[in-house]
Amino acid sequence: MRKEDTVKLISAEGFEFVISKEAAMVSQTIRNMLTSPGSFAEAQHGEVTFPEISTTILEKICQYFHWSLQYASGKETEFPIEPELTLELMMAANYLHT
Amino acid sequence: MTMNERKMIDLEQGWEFMQKGITKLKNILEGLPEPQFSSEDYMMLYTTIYNMCTQKPPHDYSQQLYDKYREAFEDYITSMVLPSLREKHDEFMLRELVKRWTNHKVMVRWLSRFFHYLDRYFIARRSLSPLNEVGLTCFRNLVYLELNGKVRDAVISLIDQEREGEQIDRALLKNILDIFVEIGMGQMDYYENDFEDAMLKDTAAYYSRKASNWIQEDSCPDYMLKAEECLKREKERVSHYLHSSSEPKLLEKVQNELLSVYGNQLLEKEHSGCHALLRDDKVNDLSRMFRLFSKIPRGLEPVSSIFKQHVTGEGTALVKQAEDAASNKKAEKKDVVGLQEQVFVRKVIELHDKYLAYVSDCFQNHTLFHKALKEAFEIFCNKGVSGSSSAELLATFCDNILKKGGSEKLSDEAIEETLEKVVKLLAYISDKDLFAEFYRKKLARRLLFDKSANDDHERSILTKLKQQCGGQFTSKMEGMVSLFISSYGS
Repeated sequence: MRKEDTVKLISAEGFEFVISKEAAMVSQTIRNMLTSPGSFAEAQHGEVTFPEISTTILEKICQYFHWSLQYASGKETEFPIEPELTLELMMAANYLHT
Repeated sequence: MTMNERKMIDLEQGWEFMQKGITKLKNILEGLPEPQFSSEDYMMLYTTIYNMCTQKPPHDYSQQLYDKYREAFEDYITSMVLPSLREKHDEFMLRELVKRWTNHKVMVRWLSRFFHYLDRYFIARRSLSPLNEVGLTCFRNLVYLELNGKVRDAVISLIDQEREGEQIDRALLKNILDIFVEIGMGQMDYYENDFEDAMLKDTAAYYSRKASNWIQEDSCPDYMLKAEECLKREKERVSHYLHSSSEPKLLEKVQNELLSVYGNQLLEKEHSGCHALLRDDKVNDLSRMFRLFSKIPRGLEPVSSIFKQHVTGEGTALVKQAEDAASNKKAEKKDVVGLQEQVFVRKVIELHDKYLAYVSDCFQNHTLFHKALKEAFEIFCNKGVSGSSSAELLATFCDNILKKGGSEKLSDEAIEETLEKVVKLLAYISDKDLFAEFYRKKLARRLLFDKSANDDHERSILTKLKQQCGGQFTSKMEGMVSLFISSYGS
């Protein structure tokens, strides 16, 4: 993927997840940020830090983005969620408006 | 630090942080040197709001944040925006206003993104105004309400300057008028009440002044040219910067002042009014007259009545001509007298052709004018010439065409055409039965003395008469023709 089509999501612990912009925009919050007018300095283009989201959760969220795109284009599979992640996952989803 | 473990944020603290972000935004808008927002800045601001809203009560600061959001706009507007607008006038003020409005929209967009979390839950739950509406309302209540009068006057004065031929900045006007529309947030009330009404009044006054000058100085065709030009320009004005909903109202005002008010004076101008144009066959001017007057309510009635008067006049003149010629030759044989009458019928046919063309070309086949033409012809067609009624004249005319050695020598096509026109003229004659009598007598004579030139023409005219006047009219004649023609064939 070209650089322009990706964003980097950084978790609280500093792990970097590089995903396509299209996937990231499943989150309204991220979408708003990326589409704000006249906004970002070139150097920081496409990097978002989430100091409040842990790595495991962020990883799951990235998986969710991709699954969501696939679901929308017809592949109706299931999305597995481990019960111990549920609460944190929900809160993160709320935060990210997903 | 994960979601579960975050610290409680106190209102003061949290707001101080937000305030920094808001100040940064203001600086950017004011054009001060300030680095752009990074994605980190954005997330921090968003996160702060998020946290402050999701804390457990009594630390759930949603309400306070909502109020502070509004206050942020009010502050900025009263401290920076209004002063800069108040110190400027006319066109400069308009430019400043456009700039400030654009800035304001940017500010609303950014702040509502930061505070977005409020929109999702707090505002939805209490059915409050959403964030971007709050932002726009602040501008409306503080800036727009104070300034719209001045703005409107400045705009109208620019419009009048353009009418006088000066160049103005059309893009600027379009932007300003867009503000009037956008500030209504879906309703056109502000545009209509605060701008359009005054603009329409001013337009009416402007054209009223112009018209009162022009009507004195200009001839009817010149005045009409000017009127047409004005209407065209005003229509362009709408497409350049007015809102499209203004078009019908604007054009109606202009038409009213230029045409309705002075309509009769214009038509009755002595040397150049409607009568004169008809007399001088000025087809272009007449077409223009029709176009203009068809737009105003009941505008065409006086025009069609002058048209009718004119045609009646022309027709009556023909009758008089024929009368005079006939009385001059009264002493001589009937044949020569008959010739004059043939000429008369010819001329009536030509008159009819001419003015029928007028109705279809200049007057776009409008029913009012067809009616005027019909009534005019009915008036003079029923006047006889030197004792012979028009019915007899027509019948004699037909006879001349249809008999062998008649005075009319025409090609087959021309004969068909002429017969067609004669039948049309028959429609205007009130005593059609008289015509039927005369025609039948002459037809009988033609058939008996074998003077009919062409059987096809005989049948054809009967068909036309049947179409126009019905089967009863022609039944006896048809009988006669079949009898003779079929027996002639055998």
